[in-house]
Amino acid sequence: MNAPLPKRIWQWFAQTRVGRSIFRVGLPQSNLERAQAMVSSFLLHVQPAKVSRHALRPATTFGLGLISLYLFFILIGTGVLLMFYYVPSTDHAYDVMKDLQFVVSAGLVVRNMHRWAAHLMVLFVMLHLCRVFYTAAYKPPREFNWLVGVGLFLLTLGLSFTGYLLPWDQLAFWAITVGTSIAGYAPLIGQKLQYLLLGGHIVGQESLTRFYALHVIVLPAIAVLMISVHLWRVRKDGGLARPDEPGDEVQQIKLGQLPTNKSYGLMELARGTTPQVGKDPGDEVFSWPNLIFRELLLGLAVVAVVLFLAIFWNAPLEELANPIHPPNPAKAPWYFLGLQELVSYSAFWGGVVVPGVLVVALALLPYLDRRREGVGRWFARERTVATSIFTFCLIVAVVLTIIGSVFRGPNWSWQVPWRQPSAVVEEH
Amino acid sequence: MSNGSVSKFYAWFTILGLLVGGLAVVGYYRDEYREWKGYQHKFIQEEIRRAATPQQRVLAERIPVQIRQIILPDLNRVDRCTTCHLAVDDPSYGGYPQPLSYHPLHQQHPFEKFGCTVCHRGQGRATTVADAHGSPEHWDQPMLPLRYIQASCGKCHEASDNPGAPLLARGQKVFDDTGCRGCHKLGGRGGVIGPELDRVGARRSAEWLRKHFLTPAAVSPGSGMPPQNLSPTDLEAITLFMLSQTGETAPGYYASMKVIPSTGEGRQLFQMKGCIGCHSIDGKGGKVGPALDDVGLRRTPDWIMQHFRDPQGVTPGSVMPKFGFTEGEARALTDFLVHLREQKVSLDLPMLMGPVERGRALFGKYGCAGCHGPDAKGGVPNPNAKTAQQVPGLIHVAEGYTAAELKNRILNGQREITPLDPKLPPPPLYMPPWRGTIKDAEIDDLVAYLFSLKPKEDVGF
Repeated sequence: MNAPLPKRIWQWFAQTRVGRSIFRVGLPQSNLERAQAMVSSFLLHVQPAKVSRHALRPATTFGLGLISLYLFFILIGTGVLLMFYYVPSTDHAYDVMKDLQFVVSAGLVVRNMHRWAAHLMVLFVMLHLCRVFYTAAYKPPREFNWLVGVGLFLLTLGLSFTGYLLPWDQLAFWAITVGTSIAGYAPLIGQKLQYLLLGGHIVGQESLTRFYALHVIVLPAIAVLMISVHLWRVRKDGGLARPDEPGDEVQQIKLGQLPTNKSYGLMELARGTTPQVGKDPGDEVFSWPNLIFRELLLGLAVVAVVLFLAIFWNAPLEELANPIHPPNPAKAPWYFLGLQELVSYSAFWGGVVVPGVLVVALALLPYLDRRREGVGRWFARERTVATSIFTFCLIVAVVLTIIGSVFRGPNWSWQVPWRQPSAVVEEH
Repeated sequence: MSNGSVSKFYAWFTILGLLVGGLAVVGYYRDEYREWKGYQHKFIQEEIRRAATPQQRVLAERIPVQIRQIILPDLNRVDRCTTCHLAVDDPSYGGYPQPLSYHPLHQQHPFEKFGCTVCHRGQGRATTVADAHGSPEHWDQPMLPLRYIQASCGKCHEASDNPGAPLLARGQKVFDDTGCRGCHKLGGRGGVIGPELDRVGARRSAEWLRKHFLTPAAVSPGSGMPPQNLSPTDLEAITLFMLSQTGETAPGYYASMKVIPSTGEGRQLFQMKGCIGCHSIDGKGGKVGPALDDVGLRRTPDWIMQHFRDPQGVTPGSVMPKFGFTEGEARALTDFLVHLREQKVSLDLPMLMGPVERGRALFGKYGCAGCHGPDAKGGVPNPNAKTAQQVPGLIHVAEGYTAAELKNRILNGQREITPLDPKLPPPPLYMPPWRGTIKDAEIDDLVAYLFSLKPKEDVGF
């Protein structure tokens, strides 16, 4: 048999004594073994033995959630490596960054991977959220999972934000100063919250200790738990959202005409409104290899992209943090720049009311929008109003972020990035 | 799924696997082949070439290729410069091209104790030429250009007392003579029109400072500082002196090992605290306590230190009061006394001078000349001032002021200067209030000096 080399190696290993003790099934040859491969493996059994063709189509999800998950894995791996060197002390943290760059083997690449993967994860979690909205995948029975997802989105921002301080350079110090002062605008609890986060009135050693503990244990632990719940709920809620009506890709068949040569798992006999009911199980294919291989390929692609970025672009590192020399302008991390732009108009409305209302609205979305049309279809025509409102908010957020990122110069004044700035007046 | 699409998976696995593997190789290569290794191989080759005996050759071949660093906890530094500059302490490498050249001064400043960046600045932790030497973006301390290296001597050594740093001493003199203190505070003493200069050397580059002295407004828009007309050497000297003002002090070991004691500080204290009221030097001074000319020969430094702390404990029955000096002050005074004979100190002791002479010294001490010109003759531009667009000279104050009025004027200053044209920006220079800076005992002397400036024989019109 003229199989590719990796396949031949795998086949050889799977039939050895050790291989059989681990994998039981070996390389599946029959449909039964394909199902067993999924069910008998701890790592694979999280996913169903069979999956619909709809779910496999790239345009269904673009793999955005899975990409976020892979980035999370990369972040855990590189993060643990960085922890072997990092010292959460204002006296040493910055020196560690320099040592990672100049003397630690692969230190710079690992730090770069961590940084770029973190930015990418924020981005892809946002994109994933947009995808779920535009395909109406938050509608019953998936309301709660949407809520968990919103929590994970905020958690991702929290993870990125707490990590931002750790290099203890000017960028870190002032981004956290700006970011936490936005939190301080909240009524009643704002000041207390800011004090609690920083362990003082300004960013200092206590802040670094707190951010470090949050970044390396508290938030990741919560994230792992919530991601587990999130994935488990995806299956319990009937897999990926699919259109209710039979489209051209789904052949509806009459009950009583079920083919007799199929085997069915319990999941396929699940409760009433699950998308499987009334549909031809023939539209489904075995997860091994159709789903698993695609997922592994996507994983390789994500690693390749992050590695590529990390090898050729260094993570930023500015001067040592200096509490008496604020850069002008001092900017929050990019994902908060829209917020900072809003705050520049009104601290209370921009820093508290607008983001507060948006987050609450986002969380309550599936309970507010109770119509059931359009599930599983992009930009369904029946949801024009919802799509329009969401798109409007999204565009405003993106525009505000772009303004805050590139169109704001010293003193938060308007600046055109491609024009040479006029001589900056030096402060004495 | 047909077998065909499974094969497609394997094709993709191969492509992506090769891509990730290739990137890993590229990453490894860039990580492994660092530029400092090349310099170390060159050094090892040179050592092998110079080996005279087989044993030496074996030793040379065994020199490990590794990061070398000087860890300086007191200075909060890790200097890896010797990773490439491998022969800094080997005189036989004198005249070699960098990075293998020998560095003089190893005797006076052993590099194991001092490192490199404490004088040269730059980025000690860096192991690439660009990051260590250049002015990489986002690094506070670019390397100090060699022609300004004397600025670093000022970190530990007194600027005016160091024969090894003549340009630094000259810079200090230019600073004092020009009257920079009239507008700028340095070491807590000076005016308030311009910014304080205590850390200016850490904030500004040599290039910036040079430009700023020539045309202040060009690099610092809106600055009212008059352009300084300095000779090229004086310009270099004052730039260097400014670069030496980094606000850093030498800690622990480094402060205690000063080869040239900071007698300047001790002399200042000696004058300020009025020691000469009871003690004499060179026959001048009081007779209550013993003369101090040869105290450095009679007593050990420890004895003198202890005497400052507790005079009666060391010399029972002494009438000398406990002055409560800080340890630093006591050490400075002790340094001064111990080195009195070798230094051939000439004391400008105020109590030995007349009021006019003291006033002239004060005119220099507070930098009045910076605005009112040398010897108070005026001529410093102050655009849009009604007084001929200049800061007025002071030689005629005796005609316009009583002593009380003049004192009042100096102590309270004059914030608003009458403009020539009210539509133009107000004149940048003004008279700051000197109350609290110039001491009460000094103000009379200053007035006496200013009154003495009245030309003796006015040629009438």
